[in-house]
Amino acid sequence: MTIRVFLADDHPLTRAGLRDYIAKEKDLELVGEASDGLEAWKIIEREKPDVALLDIRMPGENGVSLARRIKGSSLPVVPVMLTSFDAQQYVMASLRAGARGYILKTVTPEELSRAIRVVARGGLYLDGEVARSIEDGHSAFETLSTREREVLLHAARGLSSKEIAGVLIISERTVQTHLASIYDKLGARNKTEAMLLALKYGIVALEELIE
Amino acid sequence: MRRHLLILLTVAIMIPSLSAILLGGAGLIQHEKTMKMVARSYVVDIAESFASRLDLSWSRTRTFPLANRERFMRPRQLTWGLSIPGWVAVVDVQGNILLSTGDADALPLLWEKGIPIGAAIEVESREGEKFTLAAYPAGETGWYVVAAVSWDKLLGPMLRFSRWPILVGMTGLLGLISVLALWKWLVAPLRVLGTEVSTLQLGKDIPEEDDPSAVFEIRRLRQVLHHLARGAVERAELMKRYVGDIVRVQEEERSRIARDIHDGPLQDVTALIHQIRLARMEGTERSGDLVRLENAEEGARHAVNEMRALCDELSPPWLDLGLSQALDELAERLSRYLGVEISVEVNTEEELPPDVTLAFFRVVQESVHNSVRHGEASRVNVRFFREGEVAVLEVTDNGKGFDPPADFEELRVRGHRGLANMSERMSLIGGELEVSKSPEGGTLVRCSWWLTSSSA
Repeated sequence: MTIRVFLADDHPLTRAGLRDYIAKEKDLELVGEASDGLEAWKIIEREKPDVALLDIRMPGENGVSLARRIKGSSLPVVPVMLTSFDAQQYVMASLRAGARGYILKTVTPEELSRAIRVVARGGLYLDGEVARSIEDGHSAFETLSTREREVLLHAARGLSSKEIAGVLIISERTVQTHLASIYDKLGARNKTEAMLLALKYGIVALEELIE
Repeated sequence: MRRHLLILLTVAIMIPSLSAILLGGAGLIQHEKTMKMVARSYVVDIAESFASRLDLSWSRTRTFPLANRERFMRPRQLTWGLSIPGWVAVVDVQGNILLSTGDADALPLLWEKGIPIGAAIEVESREGEKFTLAAYPAGETGWYVVAAVSWDKLLGPMLRFSRWPILVGMTGLLGLISVLALWKWLVAPLRVLGTEVSTLQLGKDIPEEDDPSAVFEIRRLRQVLHHLARGAVERAELMKRYVGDIVRVQEEERSRIARDIHDGPLQDVTALIHQIRLARMEGTERSGDLVRLENAEEGARHAVNEMRALCDELSPPWLDLGLSQALDELAERLSRYLGVEISVEVNTEEELPPDVTLAFFRVVQESVHNSVRHGEASRVNVRFFREGEVAVLEVTDNGKGFDPPADFEELRVRGHRGLANMSERMSLIGGELEVSKSPEGGTLVRCSWWLTSSSA
């Protein structure tokens, strides 16, 4: 069974390259292309692709808002951001908007097809460059404790250390110790990266983070 | 002495004026008093001399010298002439007028008041005419001689001819009025103007254009001052707008360049990477070609990363995500780049206009750099919260701290633009920036922006 893919990007050369990437995979089929947000929405509504690859910056309507629109319309389409922005905050914003994947445009053909397959199966895919995976060098991945998981979830919802301490009735110092341990276990350098890695490893579900 | 010269001069002019008035008044009173005394002794003299003559004549003839009326009256005419305004009357005990010169219409009043013998009194006739009047008994005859002089007729001209106290008084009054005018229209407005000028903040305050209670010269001075001050304010305004324009144009330019790089070369090189990868996948017989393609891909990927970093440096696209997330991203990047611990706490969901977000963002960027570079801090806390109607951003560090100068422009003069630029950015959006010592001994940078204020 082939996965029907849609591609929206305002840059023709980028589209050409990605088109060729997809064409190389037998189980993937490109059902439409658009160079701006408005055109993209029309085609998505008409074609109802399985996966929609969306550029964040596009004329007409940006990718994040398009993802939100897809989420709101309950179409059986999985939005995946395909962008040049490597900011982790964009990843969070995209995930909140309903995207199930975040890939940089410098993605390799293998990664792209893997990402499409993962999200089509209902999974979540984040580019290695925005959330480094275990294979990228961090070997000692351990499971988080229940308390650590709780702390991470609260932190992900935007609570400060002080607020988390208040909610969990522990000291602020303990919260910071937990966070440091979480970073260490996941190989994260900061809160956002810890969240993204936790998502990537399936330690927390996207729904838990977004509420 | 010279400091209070105007007041001293005013007082100096006022003293002679006041004394002139007092002198004039005293002179006038003294004059009237003298006149009164003169009039009294005059009428008493007349009454007495007539009485003695009447008595003499009586003792000689035992008759009332009615027959010799003309002769009796002669001495008076001889002595006084006709110019003396007064009269003499002879009355009996019942008050009947036996003899009189002129109209003795004031006589009945005398009866009303009772007759003080031998002393002069002042009475007023029914017409309001004032007299000095004296009665004197004429020896054994039982008659009385009453002599009177009219104030209007005698003293009136005398008073009129002795106006010096009035003149002095008038002069004094004139002087006093001049002093008051001098004070009200010259000295007081001059002092007000002086105070205004000494406290005037050039480029900020504008004094009143006109002072209607001042003399022409001061009004003109005020107009000139108003004009100059307005010019200074306009220049300051222009300067501020100029600096604002520079900042705005710079930011616009930076974001335009970042956008251009992102939409142009970054996409082109990305597409190039795709093509290289496709070429590699399709394969080639020569292994040297594969190595070259791999090198080309590596180079292109490096270029993409550099361009991304350049875009972030120039104008981070993720500023669009709002202050909270932009601060998170900035903190994560800066902590990685500068090796410093940065915590971000955002306690408000407040949506800020893009230019305010940018200003806050740049302040944090600059502050963190300063904390590390100058303060050698190892930890920086960024807090964004709401205090009533004010959005507050605080950046504190655990560095060495420093004593901030009162005026950031001083630092700019010395070549340290950072703080001056931060302060400038805040003032351009209508906010404020304060720098002080943090409780930990490091530096505290605090920005406030009124949520109700709309930014240009």
